Amino acid sequence: MFSNPIIQRELIGMLRSRRALVIQVLLVAIFGLLVVLRWPSDPRVDLNGARSMQVFRLFGYGLLSAIVLLVPAFPAASIVREKQQGTLALLLNTPMSAGQIYLGKLLGVMAFVFIVLALSLPAAVACYAMGGISLQQGLLPLYLLLVLVALQYSSLALLISSHATSTDSAMKLTYGAILVLAVVTLGPYLFLQGVPGEEAAAWLRSLSPLPAVMEILGQRDLGGQGLEVIGGSHWKYSMLSVLSTVVMSCLTLRRLNVRIFDETRAQGVMTHELVGARRFLRNLVYMAGVTDPQRRRGEISRLFNPVMVKEFRCRRFGRLHWILRLVAGCAILSFLLTFLGLFGTHGWGVERIGGILVILQVSLVVLLTPSITAGLISGERESGSWQLLQMTPMSGWKIIRGKLLSVVYTLLLLVMATLPAYVVMIALRAEMQKQVIEVLFCLLATVVFCLSVSALISSLVRTTAVATTASFCVLVGLFAGTLLFWLGEGAPFGHDLVEAVLKVNPLAAALAAMQMPGFTSYDLVPHNWYIIGSASLLAFAALAVQTIKLTRPQ
Amino acid sequence: MSDLEPVVVIENLTKRYGDLVAVDDVSLSLNRGHILGFIGPNGAGKTTTIKILVGLARPTSGTARISGVDCVSDARRIKRLVGYMPDTFGRYSNMRVREYLDFFGAAFGIAPSKRRKRIDAVLDITNATYMQDRYVDVLSHGMAQRVGIARTLLHDPEVLVFDEPANGLDPEARIEMRGLLLRLAELGKTLIVTSHILPELSRICDLVAIISNGKLRAYGTLPEIAEQIGQSRMIEIQLASPDQLTTASERVMPFLPEGSSVDISETESLLRFRANLSEDKMNQIIRELVQASIPVSQFRELQTDLEDAFVSVSQEDKAGN
Repeated sequence: MFSNPIIQRELIGMLRSRRALVIQVLLVAIFGLLVVLRWPSDPRVDLNGARSMQVFRLFGYGLLSAIVLLVPAFPAASIVREKQQGTLALLLNTPMSAGQIYLGKLLGVMAFVFIVLALSLPAAVACYAMGGISLQQGLLPLYLLLVLVALQYSSLALLISSHATSTDSAMKLTYGAILVLAVVTLGPYLFLQGVPGEEAAAWLRSLSPLPAVMEILGQRDLGGQGLEVIGGSHWKYSMLSVLSTVVMSCLTLRRLNVRIFDETRAQGVMTHELVGARRFLRNLVYMAGVTDPQRRRGEISRLFNPVMVKEFRCRRFGRLHWILRLVAGCAILSFLLTFLGLFGTHGWGVERIGGILVILQVSLVVLLTPSITAGLISGERESGSWQLLQMTPMSGWKIIRGKLLSVVYTLLLLVMATLPAYVVMIALRAEMQKQVIEVLFCLLATVVFCLSVSALISSLVRTTAVATTASFCVLVGLFAGTLLFWLGEGAPFGHDLVEAVLKVNPLAAALAAMQMPGFTSYDLVPHNWYIIGSASLLAFAALAVQTIKLTRPQ
Repeated sequence: MSDLEPVVVIENLTKRYGDLVAVDDVSLSLNRGHILGFIGPNGAGKTTTIKILVGLARPTSGTARISGVDCVSDARRIKRLVGYMPDTFGRYSNMRVREYLDFFGAAFGIAPSKRRKRIDAVLDITNATYMQDRYVDVLSHGMAQRVGIARTLLHDPEVLVFDEPANGLDPEARIEMRGLLLRLAELGKTLIVTSHILPELSRICDLVAIISNGKLRAYGTLPEIAEQIGQSRMIEIQLASPDQLTTASERVMPFLPEGSSVDISETESLLRFRANLSEDKMNQIIRELVQASIPVSQFRELQTDLEDAFVSVSQEDKAGN
C-alpha cells in the first residue's frame, strides 16, 4: 500500500509547502505553551489529578481545533486542482485504479495528520506524567477519536473536491460543510431536550465530534442545561464517523473516472429566445423578469461602481434571485426562532432566544464573510485579471471600494433580514431596547472586523484557496477559539482571565450584552468595541498600503 | 498629431531588477496603422518592454511615449490610448461574454447607451457575436482570444498591444486571428504583437524587432533585419542534369568562406549552400560555372525567413554566453 506513488507525492508535496512548515512549527509551539502555562509551579501535591485534567482538557480542545481547522484545507484542493491542471487526466490514464488514486490521496492526508498528532505527543506525555489521566480512558480514546475526525473530514473534503469547479469553491464548501457538521448539528438538541424527538436530535448531534471529545475529557455536556447527560457520545460519533467516511469514499470513487471531464456548463436558453407561454411563464415566476438569471442584463448604470456590480454578477449566489432567496430564508428563520422561543418553550426566556439569534447572525457573518471576501483581490491576481483592472482608468481606491461595497451590502442585507426578530423582542419587552442596541453595535463590529481581516488577507496572498483558509482560521480562531477559555472557566481559568480573553470576541460581547445565561457575569462592552474597532482600523490601513503597492507600476 | 509622425516612440529604455538587466537601452518607433512583430526567446525582455509601454511598469531610465503621451508620468491617459491583451485571458466566473464586455466598458467610463453600440461593434469586428450569451469561464481558447481582443477594442484605443495572441490556437483559428489583426491595422490601429509562431508574424508585420537578453538585436523590415544581423544568404543552383553536380560543387567551393559546405541533391539536380557573400562574389560564382560549361538552369537566393533570423540571433547569444 505504501508503495502507492500518490501517497508519496501528496505527502511530500504537502510537507514541501511553506504552509505545512508554519503549521508544524506553530502547533509544536502552541502545544508546548499550553502545558507550560498550566504546569504546577507550587510544591503542593495534586492528589486527585484535577490540575492535570485541566491541562489535558485544554490540550484536547486545542488539538481538536487544529485538526478541524487545518487538515481539510489539503484534501479540499487535492482533486479539483489536479483536474484544473490536467494531471488528473494523466493519473486516470495510468494503470492505477480509481481506488488506488483515492486511497493515495486519503492516506497522504492521513500521513500528515499522523505527523501533526506525533508533534503533539510530547505535550500529551507531559499531561500524562502529571498523573490523574488514564491512558485507556483518556489519552488513547482522544487520539483515536481525532484520527476518526481527520478521516471523516478528509473524505468529506475529497468528495467536495471531486465535485467542485474551482479550488476556491471547494475550500468554501468544505469549511461550510464542516461548520454545519461540527456546530449546526448541535442546535436541534438545544431545543428538543425533554420533548419528543430528543433521541433523533441526540443522534444528529452525534455527527459533531464536540460532544464526544467533551465526554472523553470528562466535561459536562454541551448545552446540557442541567438535564441528565446522554452517555456514549464517543461511541455514537465513532460509528457515524466510520459510516459517513465509507459512504463519502464510495461517492468520491464513483466520480473518479473519465466522465469527470465530460461535464460542461449548460448555457441555458436566454429568456428573449423563448416564445409564447414559456416566456410568459418565466417572466411571471421571476417577477416580470427582474430576477431572471437567464435574462440578458442591461448595461451597468453610471450610478453604480462597476466593480461592485461585477462582483455581484460573478458570485454564484450574488445574482438577485439568489440574494432574495437568502434574505427571505434568513428572515423566516429568525421569525421562527423568535416565535418558537416565545411561545413554544416557556421556560427559555427572551435572553436565551436573543442569544441564539446572536449566535445565528454571527455564525452567518463569520461563515459568509471569508467565503465572499477572501477571493476579492487574490482571485483577481490568481486569474490574471488584476492586470486587466490595472489597465482601466479606474483608481485603486475605486476598485477596492467596489469590492468592499459588494460584501458590505450582502452582509447588511442578510443581517438586516434577521433584525425583525429583535423588533418582536422589543415589542414584547420594551426594557430590552438598550440590550438590543448594544447587540446591534456588536453585530456591526463583527461585520466590519470580518470584512477588514478577510480583505487584508486577500490582498496579502496570491491564491484564493490560501486566502479563504487563512481567513477562516483567523476568524474561527477568534470567535470560537476564545470561547474555549469560557468553557474552561473555573477550571483551569479564572474569571478575570476569561473576561480579558472574551473582550476580543464580538460574539461573546453580543451575548453578554443580550444577558444570555452564562455570559451575565462579564463586562465586555464597550471594551470589545474599542478593541475590534482599532483592529479593524489597523486592518483597513494595512489594506490601503497593500492596495497602493498592488496598483502602482512595478 | 500627423499620420506621418510615429505613434509609438521608445528611446533608450532600460529596466533593471537589482543586478538583472531585463531591458537594455532599447529604442524603436512605429507609425500609425503599422504592425510591429516583437520577437525574442523566453525571458528576452519582451513582456517587460510591453509592460512599460502600457504603464504597468516603470523604466529605470529612458522614455516611452504613445501619441506624444509619456507612458511613465501620464499612465492614466495611456490607459485610454492603449488596448492591452496579456497572455492570460482573465476569466470571471458566472459571467456571460456580453456582461464581461459591459463591465470593462463601464470601467472605461463609456456611457451605457454608447457602450451597448460599442459592444455590438467589437463583437462584430471579432466575429464573436454568436457567443455573447455564453459564460466566459467555459469558452475555448480560440473563443477567449477573440473575446480578449474585443475587450481591448472597447474603448477604441489608438494602439493595440497583444501578447502571444496566436498561442495555443489551431491552424484554422490562427488564420482567422491573422485576418483579424490585418483588419485592425486597416482600421487605422497601430499594433504591437509578440509571438513565438514566427511564420504568422512574418506574414502580417510591417516591422520586426528582435530582442534578446534585454538588447534590441535587430529592428526594421524583414530584408533590413537580415542585413542588420549579418545573416548568411541561402543560395540554390539548379543544373539541367545531375551529371555535373560534383564538378559544380568543386568550382563553387573556393569562393566560399572556410568551413562552409555545399549540399548536393541529385534527385533535384540541385546545389545548396549558406554563406555571407557579397554581390561581387555571387557574380564570380556564376561566371565560373558558365566558363566551365556547366548547364545552370536556375541560380536563386532564397527569401530571408523570420525563423532563420530568430535562430541566428539565438545562436549568437548562446555563443556569446
